[in-house]
Formats: sequence, structure tokens, C-alpha cells
Amino acid sequence: MARGTTIRMWRRSLFVLVALIVIGFGVIIFRLAKLQLVQGETLQQMATEQQLKDTKINAQRGTIYDCNMKPLAQSATVWTVVLESAYLKNDEVREKVADGLSGILDMDKNEILEKAKKKSFYTIVKRKVESDIKDKIIAFQKENKLSTGIRLVEDYKRYYPYGDFASCVIGFTGTDSQGLSGLESYYNEYLTGQAGRLVTARNAIGTDMPFDYEKMVPAQNGNSLILCIDEVIQHFLEKGLEEGIANNKVMNRAGAIMMDVNTGAILGMAVKGGYDLNNPFEIADKAVKDQIDALPKEERSKAKARALEAQWRNKIVNDTYMPGSVYKQVTTAMAFEENLINENSNFNCGGSYVPFNGARAIKCHKHGGHGSQIFERAFCNSCNPAFIQIGQLIGPERFYKYYHAFGFTEKTGIDLPGEANGIFFSKDGSMGPMDLAVASFGQNFSITPLQMVTAAAAIANGGHLVQPHIVKKIVDSDGNIVKSFDRIEKRQVISEQTSKRICKLLMQNAIDGGAKNGYVPGYRIGGKTGTSQKIGNSGPGGMDYIASFCGIAPADNPQVVLLIYYDTPKGPSYYGAAVAAPTFAKVMQDALPYLGIERKYTDEEVAKLDIQVPFFVGSSVAQAKNQAISLQLNPVVYGSGDTVVSQIPGVSTKMPRGGTIVLYTDMDSASKKAVVPQFVGLTLSEANKEASAAGLNITIKGASLSNSGVVCVKQSIAAGTQVSPGTVVTISFSQKKAEQTD
Amino acid sequence: MNRNYNNKSIKAKKRKTINIKRRDKSRNKSDAKSKFSIGKRLTPVRKKLKFFSMRSGLDMPFFFINMILLVVGLIMLFSASYPNAYYYKQGDSYYFIRSQLIWATIGVVAMIAISYFDYHHLHKFAIPILLISFALLILVLFMPAINGVHRWIQLGPLGFQPSEITKFAIVLSFSHFISINFKRMGTFKHGILPYGIILAITAFLLYLEPHISCLIIIVLLSGGMLYIGGVKLRWFGLVLAIALAAVGYVVLFTDKLGYANGRVQGWLDPFTSNPNVDTWQTKQGLYAIGSGGLLGLGLGQSRQKYLYIPEPQNDFIFAVVCEELGFIGALMILILFAMLIWRGIIISMRAKDKFGALLGIGLTAQVGLQAILNIFVVTNTIPNTGISLPFFSYGGTSLVMLLAQMGIVLSISRTSKLEKT
Repeated sequence: MARGTTIRMWRRSLFVLVALIVIGFGVIIFRLAKLQLVQGETLQQMATEQQLKDTKINAQRGTIYDCNMKPLAQSATVWTVVLESAYLKNDEVREKVADGLSGILDMDKNEILEKAKKKSFYTIVKRKVESDIKDKIIAFQKENKLSTGIRLVEDYKRYYPYGDFASCVIGFTGTDSQGLSGLESYYNEYLTGQAGRLVTARNAIGTDMPFDYEKMVPAQNGNSLILCIDEVIQHFLEKGLEEGIANNKVMNRAGAIMMDVNTGAILGMAVKGGYDLNNPFEIADKAVKDQIDALPKEERSKAKARALEAQWRNKIVNDTYMPGSVYKQVTTAMAFEENLINENSNFNCGGSYVPFNGARAIKCHKHGGHGSQIFERAFCNSCNPAFIQIGQLIGPERFYKYYHAFGFTEKTGIDLPGEANGIFFSKDGSMGPMDLAVASFGQNFSITPLQMVTAAAAIANGGHLVQPHIVKKIVDSDGNIVKSFDRIEKRQVISEQTSKRICKLLMQNAIDGGAKNGYVPGYRIGGKTGTSQKIGNSGPGGMDYIASFCGIAPADNPQVVLLIYYDTPKGPSYYGAAVAAPTFAKVMQDALPYLGIERKYTDEEVAKLDIQVPFFVGSSVAQAKNQAISLQLNPVVYGSGDTVVSQIPGVSTKMPRGGTIVLYTDMDSASKKAVVPQFVGLTLSEANKEASAAGLNITIKGASLSNSGVVCVKQSIAAGTQVSPGTVVTISFSQKKAEQTD
Repeated sequence: MNRNYNNKSIKAKKRKTINIKRRDKSRNKSDAKSKFSIGKRLTPVRKKLKFFSMRSGLDMPFFFINMILLVVGLIMLFSASYPNAYYYKQGDSYYFIRSQLIWATIGVVAMIAISYFDYHHLHKFAIPILLISFALLILVLFMPAINGVHRWIQLGPLGFQPSEITKFAIVLSFSHFISINFKRMGTFKHGILPYGIILAITAFLLYLEPHISCLIIIVLLSGGMLYIGGVKLRWFGLVLAIALAAVGYVVLFTDKLGYANGRVQGWLDPFTSNPNVDTWQTKQGLYAIGSGGLLGLGLGQSRQKYLYIPEPQNDFIFAVVCEELGFIGALMILILFAMLIWRGIIISMRAKDKFGALLGIGLTAQVGLQAILNIFVVTNTIPNTGISLPFFSYGGTSLVMLLAQMGIVLSISRTSKLEKT
């Protein structure tokens, strides 16, 4: 076409052609250039973000082992249920998922449905789901052919196999496995490890794309801690405290710490009134819990927070107390080191002492006074007037110098969080004469129990102040040592000589002084009791006290130091000797053999030692008699036969030397009976007499075997019971109350 | 007329020699007289009208552009569709491409066959096809809605959109009416009224479906044809003024197109965090385009097609093209489309009569418009609306329809005055 009337059509056709191409394609090219060349990188990045699934691989938190590699805290695999709601196709599927998950996870259906409606690839539904529930979810997915939409992400949960065991030391973790208290918090950095990442290309329904996108940065599992704490020792401590708390109606928790005096390694550290580590946010003390539940709602959460805070506190490290008479060994160390007194220096106690003119008199716990005594006795009597005088000899400057040198002004540096600072009379170390007087027997300044133990260790180990530590080694997940903690000596505080002399004093104190309830035969225990008033605290039941006992074993070559302390005992007694010393003895009795410390008996002790009854049955009467005599047993023969057919006590029974062994030569005589006499209230020698008169044997438990002043408080078979002759009755001895000393 | 064409067809055996002889003659004649008027065509040209017509042969450039676009389109469809097919069609990655290949074969055969068909016969079909399209548009309203719209008529395994036929019917009927009333196009009675009525009915029926994107194409297409057909510019001015006033009213006094309208909001800010605005498809498309960069990720390497772009084999296939082939590749394809439009319109402008010219321009412009609008949507230049990309998007019947329409353009090219290669 070309001409005439159609020229216009030509023109217009060309115009349409040009318009289409120029406008249409021009705009497109402009847009494409902008999108691909200008914004390309940004858009690609946004696309990559959704295409690459960056999955966090949680690192397994390290294990906390005791010194024998028994796990005290470990992580087990749990699962986080994640909803990839963007993959859920329609409301029907969403409904189904919400329905299924709410049933399996025991959650509100609408809550899950709400999450399912979001267009997201990662919405957490529930954390820390156990593997059996995970299996149920997988079964549910299979059943309903849901290949995507629900994702299970591996995570770890902390388990504490021993529950409330060493709770205040180990501590616990929070929801994100971060350590919140105790070692878990202090060593969080080591335990946590490094989370890994798995980057994979995913299509929009969440399955893998056929691209080589996978990039894996493996998780680095956390390091493990190997503690100096021995689970067995710890167990002894916890058991001892538990009993002590029950027997003495202890109101405000109790603590015990055992330390290697030479290295500062903590072998056990127990705080009772602990909590279940697997359930740290539950109030463990039922009474407290009931009390809180009874509160009006508004106050409840605050009270609960306070109670939780209290139960998490590690009393030994986070709280301070006044050490009381336990501190007298430190005062003694100062005086010995400065050559101010010796064991034989004479002190006079009139029942109270006025430290200086115009001051109020300070009473001795023995109101009648100890009279004139050499220092050794004054120490064993824990005589306050004597120590006030010694304190005056030392003087405030030297007192503070040693106070500082023993580490009471600084943190011990133990590897636990929140170590408390002690409180001295003044910041610069100056003290008034009254301050000095009371400080000499451990009153009116506050230190942590740990500081006391550390100082006691220094006194015992030859004067070396060592840094206490709980963790022995940090190892990585392959077992390689990352860090190990050895003995750190801060300084030598006193001479070896002084140390030895004080150990001797401490042992003497345990043998026949105030600390005799802490004595364990054969182990050369040395110790010092303490009964301290609590600062500015007199409750409705009168003054509150802390009963404590700090001792070492064996005193001739000290290996361990153990401090036991009970806060506010409201039982029959509040004295350290009555409340804390028995626990000390009990723990030591179990722990020292376990630690492999050799027994060494004094002759006197050997005489009182039990022996194991050998097997006499089948031997001839004469032979049995000879054997029994050679074992220092007293054989009694019933019947007329030639051969022993039965024996009481039976084979392997423990009985004291000089006890009666009854040998039967015929069965008729076996029906003979003996009556158990009343042992309670008798002294040891009286009990022995009674027993041999009745033809029975006794075995002795409890307090010191080596001195008088103890009476039987318990017998294993009630008086009046008819038993076979030779039966062993266990009788327990304890010090008479009247003679309890501070 | 009918009879005449049939009689002539008997002479088909001698077709070849006659054609060669007549090529020069016809060129001479068409030079001498305008063939735009139907009246003129009916008398002296009658002899040449026969069912199959080789004439001077078809236009090779146009044919090859079509074939190249078709092949590229099939390759890209295969690439774009196989993840979707894999995941949603029981692992059968070839699900879409297999079907599309079959339809493409049918389409190419149809295209070539139709290119032999003398397009003048279409005069007779103009009104029937228009009526059939109306009937189908009414019928489709009674079909079950898919995604809330009535667009598909299902005949057993075959589905088709009547709006495809509507587009063709409009182009054909407009070409028919304009070519027979060419001289009177300046008048309201002949230049505006009949078209206005046809458009009004079509628009109403499409509005009921609703199928606004098709309506937009039809309005633009018929506007263009009327413009070429010689309607006075003041009519366009008037319609434009009314349209602007209407849009102005809607924008100012209703909130249908305001920011509250999710579609508009999604268009202005495809990365919105507003959960009530569904911009997923647009956003994913833009991610794909952007990821392509200058050179693309390489054929088959699209990541966005992995179910991120919903139905990447359909309207958003160009996004996958951009991602895989990059800016350069996309530009190549744009050039192919531009060449198709250019060649199609050139063929039509040189057609031997006004019917052929209008028909050719209409059909070519339809393809061009659809491609441009589709890419506008994919690049978020205009708000998202469902327009498929010719030669690329999946859909058997529409591909056959497209190729058949290109066959008509080829048929026009046979009698068009072109330098045949």
C-alpha cells in the first residue's frame, strides 16, 4: 500500500510500530538494567538469604567430671521443634499440623495455629523436647506425609546425674545453655564451645537443591572440666551435713569444705540447703515453698525470687561469717611466729577479762574460769581471756599484718563466681583495743569460710598460703588438656617450725581438748571448734550462733583440712564441739581411709582396737582356746564335747580386745541366754565391766577412746533383751554436755 | 463469493507455474491499484483467490524469528518448569515440556498450513467468530471458578481461555469492519459506534470473569487498530480525557486504587512487610531478575525456579530467563521480540490490501503488547496481573493459537510486497 488516502495509515502504522518498540522495549530495558545491573547484587543477596538455609549446629556443652571422671554435669541431645510455616500449603495442612503438634507437645492448639499462619521459615514452637517426643513428631510427619513444615533442630540439655549433689558448686544453666551459677557460670566460656553452621541451598519447600552449596562449619564442642572434687568425698560431706542439720535443727543451711592443704585443691565442697540442679527454679525447701505459696499473689514472685537467690548461694564462698574460736589457731600462729609466747607460757583465767581500764569485761565461756594454765591448756580449753592477752601482746599492727598475710583481706581467687569480701574493723587495718581483744578470738570481723580454710591450710602445710581451686584440668572434647591448674603459692606466712607446733597443739586439742568430739582413732586428727555469734543478730529465740569445726589430718603430716559449719543450730546445743565436731569426725572416719591415709595407733588405742573374730568351728577346743588367747580374747567354753560346733560372736564380727568369745561344743548348750544390761549413762570402764559380767561383748563407737568424761549415750540392743552369750552390743559414747567447751 | 473461491481451488494442480507467472503480474497490478478497498478486491483480483495460495512465498525472516522464539521459548520453558514438574508431578521433570512440545509441533504445522490459506477468506468468519467469542465469554461464566475467576473452559483434557479467542475475534472483526468502511472511518456512525458497541460488550463480559489484563490488551489493541484505521485523533483525546477523569475519580474519591489496595501497595513496595499484601510472586520474580546480573547464572542454573517463584513456567517465566541468561540474554530475547514486531508490522504495511494490513498489524501488535505487558509485570513496572509471555509461557492451546495467528501473518506475507529472501 502506498499512496493517496492510505498515506495516513502508513504513518499511523509506523507510529504504532515505533511506539511499541521504543516505549515498550525502552522501558523494559531501562527496568532490566536497573534491576539486574544496579540493584542486582542487593537482590541476589536477598535471594541467597532465602535460598540458603543457615542452620545453627549447637555445640555440645562440656561435661563436668569429678576427679575420677564421674560425670557430675553432662549434656544430652534434645530437640527444638521449629515450624517452617511458609512451606505449609493451605489452611487444611496448617490445621492438621497445629492439631498434631498440640497433642504431642501438650500445647495450646491456637497458639501453634497462629505460628503456622505466619509466612516464615523459622518459628520456634517448643524447646528442649526429649527424644521420645521427637520420635512421635517424626511418626506424625510420616503418617501425614509432611516432608516439610516441621523441623527438628538438635540441641542439648544439661543433666545433673546426682540431682542436688554439690549444687552450689556446680551451678546450672539457662534455656540457652548459658551457665548461670557456680562452675557452669565461672567456666561458661570453656564449657560452651563454638556453635557450628550448616549452610545448604534449599528450594522453597525446604528440600535440598541440586547445587553444590553445602558448606559446613562443624560445631566445636565445649571443653570439659575435671574437678579436684571427689564424688565420694563430696558424698561424705553431704551426708554428714544432712545428718547434722537434722540432728541440730539447723535453720540457715550448713557448709563443709575439704581441701588438700598442700595444693589448695578442693576435694569436696558442700552447701546444704541446696537445690535440685535439674530443677534449679523450684524451691527445694518445702517449708519455704509452702510459705511462699501462702503469700498473696503480688508478693509471691518477689518472695520466690528471694528464696531462689538464697538457695543458689554458695555459703562458703559468697557469704561471710565470724570465725570465732577457730580463728584462735591464727592468733596462736602470730604469737608463735613473733616469739611472743610458747606452749608453756602461763595464763590465768578468772572467768572473765577486762582488756583495758574502763572496758567492759569479756567473759570466758567457762564462767568459773580456767584458773592458772599453761598455753597448751589454754588452747585446748579455748580460753578467751588467755587469747585476749595474747592479742594484746601481738598488738594491732602485727595482728593486721598477719591478718593480711593469711589472706583475709583479699579474695582467695577460687574459681567460683561471686566470692565475697571480708569485713575488717577498718579499711586501713587500724583497730581499737576492744577490736583487738575480740578479734583475738575471732569475733567481730567477717571472713568467708573459704578464707578460713585457706588460712588453716597455710598453718598446717608449713606456712604456705596456697590458692584454693576446684578445677584440676580443662580438657577438650578429644581429651587433650587445654589448661591445667597446679598449686599456686601466694606466699609463705609463717615458718615451718611454727606450723609444726600449731599442728601439735591442734592434735592435742583433739585428743583431750575442746575438739575431742572430732577425734578419729588412728588418724592423728588436729582441730579447733568454734562457736561464733552472728553479726548483729539476735532472733526471737535469743542469740544466733554459727557452730563450726576446722581440723586437719593427719596432724604429723597434714594432708587435708576440713571445715564444717552450721548456721544457726536450734537443737539441743549450739556449740561447735557438740554440733560440728561429730560431723567432722564422721566425715573424716569415712574420708581418710578412702584417701588412703595410713592409720597409726597409739599404744593406748591399739589396746582398745576391735579385732575380727576368726573361724573356730571345727577346731578342737584346746586349739580354739589357744588361738583365742593369742588374739587377746577371753574364751568361754560351754558343753562337754571336744570340738567347737558353734561360736558367738560369729566369724568376722568385730569385737574389742579382751572380749568374751563363747565356744559351744554341743548344740544343747547353745540355748543358753544372757540378758543385755543397761549401758547408757555408764563410762567406758563401767560398761566393760557390765559386759563381761553378762557374758556379752561390746563394741564402741563415737567419741574419743582415749579419755575420760565420756558416757554411753546409745546401745544397739535394748537393756533387758535376751540374747545368746557373746553377742556384740554396739554402744555409742559422747562427751557429757556439762563439759562442752567453746 | 464462497462458490468462487471453491471453483478456483480446483486449479490447485497448476498452482506452481501460475504463481511464478503471476508474481510479476500481481506486483504490477498492486502497484497500479490500491487493494485496500474490498470493492476493488472483489472484481479484478478474484482470479487469484484460491484456497491455497503460495503467491510470492512466505516471508522467511518473519518465519525464522518465529521459529527462533519458539525454540528459545521451549528451552526456557523446560528449564523453568522442570523443578515444579519434579516436585509437583510425581518426579516427572518432563511433564510440562512434553506437553508443550506436542502442542508446539501441532502449532508449527498449523502455522505453516495456515500460511498457505488465503487470509481473505477470513472476511467471512469475522462476524461468526465475534459471535462465538461472545458466546464463549458468556459460557465461561458458568464454568467453575479457578482461584476465584472464571477464565477456563475445560473440554476433557483440553482447557482453553475464551479470552484468547476474544482477542483474535476483536482483531479480525475490527480489521474486517475497518477495511470495508475505511473511507467512512472519520464518521461517528461508522468509525466509532460499531467498535464502541463491540468493545463495550467484550469489556462487560471480561469484567464479569473477571479478566482485566485481557481487557487492557484488548482496549490497547483495538485503540491501536482504530488509530491506524483512521479514526480522528479527537476521539482518542476524548476517550483519554474520560479515562483520565475516571481514574482520577477512582483515585481521589474511592480507595480502589489507593494505597489501601494491596495490589497497588505491593506494586509500589514489593518488599513490604505488611502481611496483608501478598507480594510473594513479584518479590520472588525480582529476586530472580536481580540474581541474573549481567551474564546470568547460566542456562538451567536458576535457583529461584526451585519453587520460590510460584509456577515459574507460566507468567513469570521471564524472571527465570533473566536469572539464567542475565541482562545480555534478556536483551537478546527482547531484540527477537522487537524484530518480530518490526517484521510483522512491515509485512502488514506492505500487504496488498487494508484488511491484510490491519489484520497483520493487529495480530503482531497483540503478540508485542502481550510480551511487553508481561515483562512489565515481571519487572514490577506495572502492578501484577496475569499476562502470559508469548512463545515462552506454558499453555498448549494458547501456543497453538499464537502460532496459528503467526501463520495468518505469514499468509499475509505471501502477498505482501517485500524483498523475499
